[in-house]
Amino acid sequence: MTSGVTVKNELPTKIAVNNLQFFYGDQLALRNVNLPLYTNKVTALIGPSGCGKSTFLRVLNRMYDLYPHQRAEGEVLLDGRNILDPQQDLNLLRARVGMVFQKPTPFPMSIYDNIAFGIRLYEKLPKSELDGRVETALRGAGIWDEVQGKLHASGLSLSGGQQQRLCIARTVAIHPEVILFDEPCSALDPISTAKVEELIDELKENYTIAIVTHNMQQAARVSEYAAFMYLGELVEFATTTQLFTLPENPRTQNYITGRFG
Amino acid sequence: MTDSHTVRAYDAELEALGRKIAEMGGIAEKMLSDGMDALAGYDGDLARATIACDLRLDVLQREIEEQAIMTIARRQPLAADLREIVAAIRISGDLERVGDLAKNIAKRALKLSAETRMQRAIIGLKSMHETAAMLLKDVLDAYALRDADRARQVWTNDVELDALEDSVFRDLLTFMMEDPRNISFCAHLLFVSKNIERIGDHCTNIAETVVYLVSGEVLPMDRPKGPSPAADFQTSK
Repeated sequence: MTSGVTVKNELPTKIAVNNLQFFYGDQLALRNVNLPLYTNKVTALIGPSGCGKSTFLRVLNRMYDLYPHQRAEGEVLLDGRNILDPQQDLNLLRARVGMVFQKPTPFPMSIYDNIAFGIRLYEKLPKSELDGRVETALRGAGIWDEVQGKLHASGLSLSGGQQQRLCIARTVAIHPEVILFDEPCSALDPISTAKVEELIDELKENYTIAIVTHNMQQAARVSEYAAFMYLGELVEFATTTQLFTLPENPRTQNYITGRFG
Repeated sequence: MTDSHTVRAYDAELEALGRKIAEMGGIAEKMLSDGMDALAGYDGDLARATIACDLRLDVLQREIEEQAIMTIARRQPLAADLREIVAAIRISGDLERVGDLAKNIAKRALKLSAETRMQRAIIGLKSMHETAAMLLKDVLDAYALRDADRARQVWTNDVELDALEDSVFRDLLTFMMEDPRNISFCAHLLFVSKNIERIGDHCTNIAETVVYLVSGEVLPMDRPKGPSPAADFQTSK
């Protein structure tokens, strides 16, 4: 089985993944995955632990390159150019494709510097302009009102939900085109979760988003397209409405209704 | 779907909904046939018993609604489970209305036991009743067997009931014109025929729900319809 793509309409595609295979050493973790990420849409990846959804996400900004013995085959076209090309500048790629992780990972520095750090890596800005960029990023991540009076306090002094939004602010500060969320709310309480979900809803105006989540209801709430993966294969890809009300594949149906053996 | 949920209590909740729908279906069928028997046989006791049955139907509908809401809140159902629960809510509403209409037939049967009897006026209603009872039985079977094709047949077959209603309407009109003393009796029968026709409509609603439940397909708005009996007599529709 190659793919379960059932979406008929042709939308502008930000990232097109073609025949992707991924290996951890000799072990095949992704089998021939074909999946589009449509421009300015939220695509959710669901599936049981070990199905390859986080691996898939890690391929999209070549996070796996940090580890030896991990390799990807196939094509991942970002605006038509294959990012798996060995010539690809990885810093540039990760500036274009940002990532937010499961556990908030603020740097052990001030709130201000958490944001400014990334911007300084890519651009040299005068202080006033940098201040503006930091504020815009914090506003964009919906956390400005909570931190504006203590920008020089440590990022680690914030609550878990605030830390996660700080990380999202850090990601949007360098103006990426795509944001990858890997279980962004699994360590957050329902109110912080709702804030992050609201944020994702706003971010899709400007960014193409992929989100990995174990929470089916979250996938149903935030995404417009959804993909179900199982044992390293893409089983079904469809609009979220279709996938959650009338999935085509019995394995999808069994998984989302809680009938997995 | 035959696979069971990892959480077995979830299966039990869905099964309970299905059982209650089946019970409602059985009661509605019996109320319709008893109501019509009471009418044809001028049987006051049977009419009163039929009226009393409606309470159980109302209680069951409430229970189904409450359980469905609770299951939605607790389990956040998706896909086939979600359709199952939506179907239970809709079908219980339709069956409750079928019960109301059958109860109304029984109430008219009570009133008619005091009227001049006119057996030939009831004959047309009997065939309407047979057709409606068949539609109801078929659609309940379609639900029990999750049979979308059978449900689609009910959906198209309701046109027969519309045609019968049209002919009953014309017959009753003739009887009333023949002898004004028939008017009161026949006016009641007109309402009865309307009630039976409405029961057919609820059967088509249930049929639509069964098709949605099984296939996720939503049937088109323009269901085939027979002639409207009052069409010739109304200035606007």
